[in-house]
Amino acid sequence: MSMTERILFWLGILILLIGLIGMKADISKLEHQAQQTVQASSEGGEE
Amino acid sequence: MNPKIERIIYIGIIVVLAGLLLSFGKKDLQLRKQIPLTVEELYKKLGNPKINIQVIDVRPYEVSEEEEDEAEDTDYYSGVHIPGAIPLPDCDESKAPEKALPQISPYIPTVIVSKDGDPEIFKKCSKKFPFAQNLKGGMVAWDEEGYPEDEGEYEPPAAGGGGGCL
Repeated sequence: MSMTERILFWLGILILLIGLIGMKADISKLEHQAQQTVQASSEGGEE
Repeated sequence: MNPKIERIIYIGIIVVLAGLLLSFGKKDLQLRKQIPLTVEELYKKLGNPKINIQVIDVRPYEVSEEEEDEAEDTDYYSGVHIPGAIPLPDCDESKAPEKALPQISPYIPTVIVSKDGDPEIFKKCSKKFPFAQNLKGGMVAWDEEGYPEDEGEYEPPAAGGGGGCL
């Protein structure tokens, strides 16, 4: 296995890892927003 | 290490990471569907030409003459609607005006507009539009905030496209 091939594989892994971290952060933000929406709608329903 | 085995290990890691990324993407889409869009956010999006978005109006297209006196403008599409919104009453193609059908694209980000942001009709519609978001408060909220409105029958845009623009 050549060094170039190894570097390309690591580059691919790195890009996927960065994508995963970004996506995870986005999901956490959306989960928080969704929770707030559910809370707001349940409070609205109680009124 | 044997180059073949090393290659298989690298490919395995990439496949696992890609699978994880895909599942995260699906979760992201599902969460986005749960969060309704506010009228203010929609107004900003429609004002931004870089954002491609389509607005689907699921209220009845028009009301009969007898009902017209009692009905409010926000009850039906031809009474008042968001500029560029495409009528698709009850999310049913058979109820939509013929000229609106070619403008509907299921695979672009979509905002579903009902009278008051009804989650039931949104649930029905989100099966047809995988990238759909509900408009919080619906047409009533848009009307109350005083954002631009059009009235009358649907006129498709002259140069194709399916989105609403202000």
